[in-house]
Amino acid sequence: MRSPFHSEQEAFRFLLLLILALIPIVLAAALGPTWLALVVLAVVLGVLALRVAQRRMRKVRGLELSVKMAPPHVGSAAERRVLVVANDTLDEEALLSEVERLACVPDTHLLLLVPALITTGARLTGAIDGLCDQARVRLKTALDRAGDHGLVVAGEISEADPLEAIEDTFATFAPDEVIVSTRWERAASGLEPRLAGLVRERFAVPVRHLVFEPGSAAQEPDEDTEARYRQEFGEAAARKFGLKTLAGVGILAAVLLSMVALVQSSERDEARAASQIAAAQAAALPPVAKVVVLKIIPEGKLGPEGEKHDAFTTTEFNVRVGQPQQLRIDNTDTVPHSITSPGAGVNIVLMPGTHTYTLLVRHAGVFLWFCAFRCDEWAMQHPGYMSGYITAS
Amino acid sequence: MHRSPTVATKGRQETPIRASAARTRAVDIDPRPWRWGHPRVLVEHPDEAAGLAIASGLRFAGYAVAVCPGPRGHGQCPLTGPAGCAPAHDADLVVCSLGYEREAAREVLRELHTRYPATPLLVEVPSEMDAELRELLDGCHPLPAPATPEQIVATVQSLSGHVAEEGLAGA
Repeated sequence: MRSPFHSEQEAFRFLLLLILALIPIVLAAALGPTWLALVVLAVVLGVLALRVAQRRMRKVRGLELSVKMAPPHVGSAAERRVLVVANDTLDEEALLSEVERLACVPDTHLLLLVPALITTGARLTGAIDGLCDQARVRLKTALDRAGDHGLVVAGEISEADPLEAIEDTFATFAPDEVIVSTRWERAASGLEPRLAGLVRERFAVPVRHLVFEPGSAAQEPDEDTEARYRQEFGEAAARKFGLKTLAGVGILAAVLLSMVALVQSSERDEARAASQIAAAQAAALPPVAKVVVLKIIPEGKLGPEGEKHDAFTTTEFNVRVGQPQQLRIDNTDTVPHSITSPGAGVNIVLMPGTHTYTLLVRHAGVFLWFCAFRCDEWAMQHPGYMSGYITAS
Repeated sequence: MHRSPTVATKGRQETPIRASAARTRAVDIDPRPWRWGHPRVLVEHPDEAAGLAIASGLRFAGYAVAVCPGPRGHGQCPLTGPAGCAPAHDADLVVCSLGYEREAAREVLRELHTRYPATPLLVEVPSEMDAELRELLDGCHPLPAPATPEQIVATVQSLSGHVAEEGLAGA
């Protein structure tokens, strides 16, 4: 992939695009909920991926207008600058002889460019020294041999992609002709045979593609072979691009799913924390019985003055706000009594006999209750007898 | 000793895209920008070998060159879309040899005229021209077709000298 910082203009465009892509994401993150930022991020990444895919497919299908460029000629009109691009074919006698032949031509400046052919894997792991050393040794052998014959040949190796290395050489060496040397088929440590075609499409100078195989002279592929290289390269590029796209989509999906999971888990944590707090608060409250069973017994409880008074066997009720509390009351008297609390909004008439009643308080507090039926007047005024408290929490 | 041509770099005057161009579907073609300094000549020639021959002559005359084969069909040229054409935008002179019997080629010429009125256009023209082409060529520098690369280089040199003089007079 071409570096977005290859030229000032490209770097500026990349930066501008990055800012434009970040603005909606940052705005969504700052002003909206997290999920909105995630959606915007997914949309922005999707649009970018689509755009890259579109451009890539146009390139692969050859729909781009091939505008070739070249710098002005450098030197006198008689001078000729030739760039030879090679790697593993530098081991071939035929190529070295061709280099010597070119270097012998008067007013010809020769530059031998050896791309080190660093794979993505090697670049990622930093294991590029071996490949660079290999390229250096090949270049040195070729230059030494030319030097032995009294010829002046310049040379350089490049760690960049071969096409980019050639582009950079156009800026520094300004060749009038390019010779790309490959095998018939791409070898592991050799240049892609399609490279010559790519250079031809990009630069407005004559480009020769010379093929060297062990023990044979230089050969030039015909148009059909170049077309086959183009097709195979396009198919390979499309396949590679498809795999990269799949991997990219997979990584993107994994990142998005992880973020969604993270957001959901943090929401779950918040909900769990809230329920734990609620549970802790509930645990701190007085216990509430499912059904409170009690009796009303006339003259059933001894007062402090030594006389017996009417009394409820339970006069303290703990209830939850808004939650009905069942009371099973056996009124052993022959007349009705009541649990009446104006503060709690409660008035339950308790008929003689055993019945189940519902006590419901709608707001929290401690409320006094009493029996509103005229019975034992002293007991009606004293909590613990015919009066008591309702605690709603 | 080789001498570089003296072309004054002109100030660019952008003209708005005409309605017909704006209606044209956006084209996702974005030719690379120039990587070399002025003077720059864009050569539009459908034939690869002929384009290269002209480019070679221009290179040896001291010009940075870009060779474009031109659009194969209507709407394919970035000049006619909002993307624009970087080589045309930053060229000091344009050589058009697209063969103007095709509407797509005329469209390119029209756009060059409209977008870059200050850029000299050297147009290789057929001996027989219709009225529309005659009108299109107004303000261009016509060169009878077929012109040899040497003729084109000589005309470019003469035109660029003319531009340089205009530039100096303007200053």
